[in-house]
Amino acid sequence: MEKIKQNPIVKKIGFNRIVLIGVLLLMYLLFCVATGFKFAGLPRILSALNYAYFLGFLSLGVTFVIATGGIDFSIGPVMFCSALISGYCLTSYGMPMGLALLISVLVGFCFGMFNGYLVAYWSVPPFIVSMASMNIAKGIASVFTKTQSVSWPQAAAGGWFRKLVRFGDFPMGLLIFLVAAVICAVLLNKTRPGRYILCLGSNREAVRLSGVNTKKWEMLAYVICGILVGIGAIFFVGAYTTVQPGYGDQYNNEAIAGCVMGGTSMAGGLASISGTVIGVFIIALLQEGILALGFTKDYQLIITGVIVIAAVYADVVARRRKN
Amino acid sequence: MNNGVNKKSIMQRLGGQKFIVLLVVIVLFAVFSIASEDFRKYTTVLQILDFSYYIVLMAIGVTFPLITGGVDLSIGTGLICYSLAGGYLVVHHGVPTIVGILISVLFGIIIGCANGVLIAVMDLPPFLATLCTCMITRGLGSICSKGYGVSWPTTGAPGSWFRGIFKLTIGNTKYPIGFLWILLIVAAMAFVLNHTKIGRYTIAIGSNKEAAILSGINVKFYHIMAYTISGFFAGLASIAYSAVFPTVQPGTGAGFELEAIGGAIIGGVSATGGAGSIEGTLIGVFVICLLKTGLPYVGLQANWQQIITGLVLIGAVLVDIIKKRRARA
Amino acid sequence: MGEVILTMNDIDKSFPGVHALDHVHFDVKRGEVHALMGENGAGKSTLMKVLTGIYTKDSGTIEYEGKEVEFHNAREAQEAGVVIVHQELNMVGHLTVAQNIFIGREFKKGLKIDDKKMNEEARKLFERLNIDIDPSATMSDLTVGKQQMCEIAKAISHEAKVIVFDEPSAALTEAEIAELFKIIRDLREQQLGIVYISHRMDEIKVITDRVTVMRDGGYVGTLITKDCTKDDIINMMVGRVIYEEPKTKSLVPKDAPVVLKVEHLNAGKMVQDVSFELRKGEILGFSGLMGAGRTETARAIFGADPKESGDIYVNGKKVTINSPQDAVNNGIGYLSEDRKRYGIVVRKTIAENSTLATLDKYMKGIFIDKKKEAEVTQKYVDSLATKTPSIDQLVVNLSGGNQQKVVIAKWLVRDCEILIFDEPTRGIDVGAKNEIYKLMNRLAAEGKSIIMISSEMTEILRMSDRIIVMCEGKVTGELDIEEVSQEKIMTMATREIKD
Repeated sequence: MEKIKQNPIVKKIGFNRIVLIGVLLLMYLLFCVATGFKFAGLPRILSALNYAYFLGFLSLGVTFVIATGGIDFSIGPVMFCSALISGYCLTSYGMPMGLALLISVLVGFCFGMFNGYLVAYWSVPPFIVSMASMNIAKGIASVFTKTQSVSWPQAAAGGWFRKLVRFGDFPMGLLIFLVAAVICAVLLNKTRPGRYILCLGSNREAVRLSGVNTKKWEMLAYVICGILVGIGAIFFVGAYTTVQPGYGDQYNNEAIAGCVMGGTSMAGGLASISGTVIGVFIIALLQEGILALGFTKDYQLIITGVIVIAAVYADVVARRRKN
Repeated sequence: MNNGVNKKSIMQRLGGQKFIVLLVVIVLFAVFSIASEDFRKYTTVLQILDFSYYIVLMAIGVTFPLITGGVDLSIGTGLICYSLAGGYLVVHHGVPTIVGILISVLFGIIIGCANGVLIAVMDLPPFLATLCTCMITRGLGSICSKGYGVSWPTTGAPGSWFRGIFKLTIGNTKYPIGFLWILLIVAAMAFVLNHTKIGRYTIAIGSNKEAAILSGINVKFYHIMAYTISGFFAGLASIAYSAVFPTVQPGTGAGFELEAIGGAIIGGVSATGGAGSIEGTLIGVFVICLLKTGLPYVGLQANWQQIITGLVLIGAVLVDIIKKRRARA
Repeated sequence: MGEVILTMNDIDKSFPGVHALDHVHFDVKRGEVHALMGENGAGKSTLMKVLTGIYTKDSGTIEYEGKEVEFHNAREAQEAGVVIVHQELNMVGHLTVAQNIFIGREFKKGLKIDDKKMNEEARKLFERLNIDIDPSATMSDLTVGKQQMCEIAKAISHEAKVIVFDEPSAALTEAEIAELFKIIRDLREQQLGIVYISHRMDEIKVITDRVTVMRDGGYVGTLITKDCTKDDIINMMVGRVIYEEPKTKSLVPKDAPVVLKVEHLNAGKMVQDVSFELRKGEILGFSGLMGAGRTETARAIFGADPKESGDIYVNGKKVTINSPQDAVNNGIGYLSEDRKRYGIVVRKTIAENSTLATLDKYMKGIFIDKKKEAEVTQKYVDSLATKTPSIDQLVVNLSGGNQQKVVIAKWLVRDCEILIFDEPTRGIDVGAKNEIYKLMNRLAAEGKSIIMISSEMTEILRMSDRIIVMCEGKVTGELDIEEVSQEKIMTMATREIKD
């Protein structure tokens, strides 16, 4: 085992990542066999990808927040809020598509500012902020849309944004998501904000005493998360068309699951974007596979819950061993 | 000679935050009554109380994890899950109502205990562990009822006696006797919090866990106990919910926990642990219940209540934080 | 004074690399107050931890009430009647005084905790001790002094026969100390054996019957308090000349420009009206006992904690420092005494730590210029001789001395002209210590100005060009290296403020 870990190629890619990719492939095989290879077809894979896009954006976003040692479980409802408000502007006020998409991102940005400001500048516990803004997001969306669901236009009816998800037969969404992931990875690992976010998640006081404005950078992590959630909303409606107010909670857990499974530590300071990407694909595949096997969505809730508990506990044990 | 004790203000003598919040409740009630004729009716009062029971019960329970410095986010979806599980057995398998109720409560205790183990023994962050059990109970509830809503026996049907626990009908008048039970439970749990080891060590864990361990207290046991109490009360709340609403739908329940936790924090439970009272929680919950029921009467959609509850929660925590910053300076 | 109740004979204890207790002898009689004195790190606390079973001794015997005993943990010692009142408070703030005193062993009446009886018992206890505290008051409402009294009462409520006070007066006001002494005298009347650990010379003279002095883990001697002078005790505490190359002459010209001037700085109880000047190329030693307010002064200057008043001038220009950011922008760097908590980001690499304070200079557009970062990190790894396989090593894997070098590198990369070194060699082995000393001398020679806070007398004497002594939040003296002696410093550090 140690030998494998020391292998230069393994070391370069990262042992944990290899294990994750292995899990992903194994799961795919299992689902294929269990469904009599009905699962192997392109439609299932495309369907799983549709799920991975929007979830991926949520997961990328929350990776930044968890890297600071915080948490944001308002992301699911905020995504719905973004999709509902912008969709309502589009369908009821006849706003141009481009502007609607911008508003979607803007709504996410505003929630990111709100959450980040309260956590960073007022030291409100992140879980309280999440809980509050989860409900505020649901409430605003309901009030704004008068509790009506919103359907985004089909491609033929001016819904050009759907090309972002699927351009003909080409899975454009995958390309965009991967580009976004690369940008996030660069942001986290190669730029100043990322460096500060990771460092303050590891030891906030030491970073502050190095003369860094920790509050600003901590808030930025929540803002980045908000923006990504706003983009995620576009991919949600691109794939599923209709959004209903009052929902979205379940995606919190799935996004956090993708993130912690990929090796981001709940204690902060340690985050991996590539891990998050693989984690998201696992969650998306899992959800598609469970449906293909004829189970309801409920089993997915339970399995995701257990996965998060297991992944976080593994991190707790690893940290205990180091001390 | 001030005896080494910093002087208390008149406000603190009157119960501090509790007193202010009680005033808020009265003012809210007065405002809604003046603004809307319909609000003044007896049936509205009945309705407010009906809709308050399950939130009050959840809030009493969650006060314990909050005082340890943690939180229990699983109570909302948990409540629905327990009600679905018990109700399904009663409706589809002919189990006596009392057994269904006991199963609901037992289910709550088990999930609560599981939360406690995840947090106290396995060291998971409380919000994360209970966020997971929140999702798990949502799935479990739906699976228990095969994805369909469950209607506990309606008033008049055999086995519907439990609906009378909360609302007694004598002649043509309905009496909200549930409120009586609530008061009794509040008294009992206030006793537990203030006069038993469970309560005392719950406070000690939230206030200074290190000191509690050094004093030779079995901290893990009492930590688990706090979450078990929360689960038990979510179980009790599920009965109140089953008794008040005709049908329980799977997939609902998310957001109830905010009303309960918000109520507790408004009522003076510290978001960082160590302090809180059951009476305060009761009063705090009524702020939220009044808003929820009252806002539609003054022409605001019910959804405004969600927004306002969120903002009020943040406000209550900010007040707590600012007070602490002042005390330090 | 009665017969001996507790004797510790020939106690020996080693930790890896340190001979912590070297055949120490100590005894306490019934009805006496016995002071245990020595510099920081002399072995007082270790000895008391051996007594109460927190550490196991390597050899030696403990005799208690005529029988040889060995306690395995604090609880066993407590049950036998040997208790320690710790310096840090261990109280549950949200509970009442009585609830705290009896926590873990509450009186019960059925299921109910009998708070009435607990209040009653606490009141009796306070009466016996002549303490004026309401047992039903909430602990966090009490002043620190009163809380300390409660801690003492809690210790005594265990039917104690021997009580160890570990620097009990550190957080107390004059009036509270008077009250504490009254309690200690009462306990002495009641024939308890009392061990009193303190740095304050005046207290020792007032309250104790005998004094035992320890130095470098060894036993120096025991004196009858009323037969000896303050100087006798100080001489026993410092009596050694082991520093190899003490500075005999300041290396800084008298007319060197003042780079940092602090005037009338106030920040809470621990920083009162502190003023001083730091010259270019100077190493300014800050001496004093633990809790003298040196770290607090440094943190206030650096903007890490809020200050109430006072002016700071850098290179003659008045500057406003409200945050560490301001301090760093004015060229001030701070090495904390608690490296792990305030110095390094442990789970990050040497390179990431080195540029933490300077990142904006190592950017190529919006990207971090990792090549340039690696170059500068390597430069300081080489010049500070940091021992590491590579600059991508996580800091957590380095030894204490090398971690310290990484923190120093962080400020050197920032090109800070003023460096505050707070206990720079704490927890670092001897070899690495010498390297840090050489490094500091080199930095000073290159024109950097250094404030060095140290509790080690030898370090102060060896490194400083000039020495400032603090005591209880105030500057009590300033000495040039030419006129300094250990005795002078110790006298200033223990000076009574009242006169």
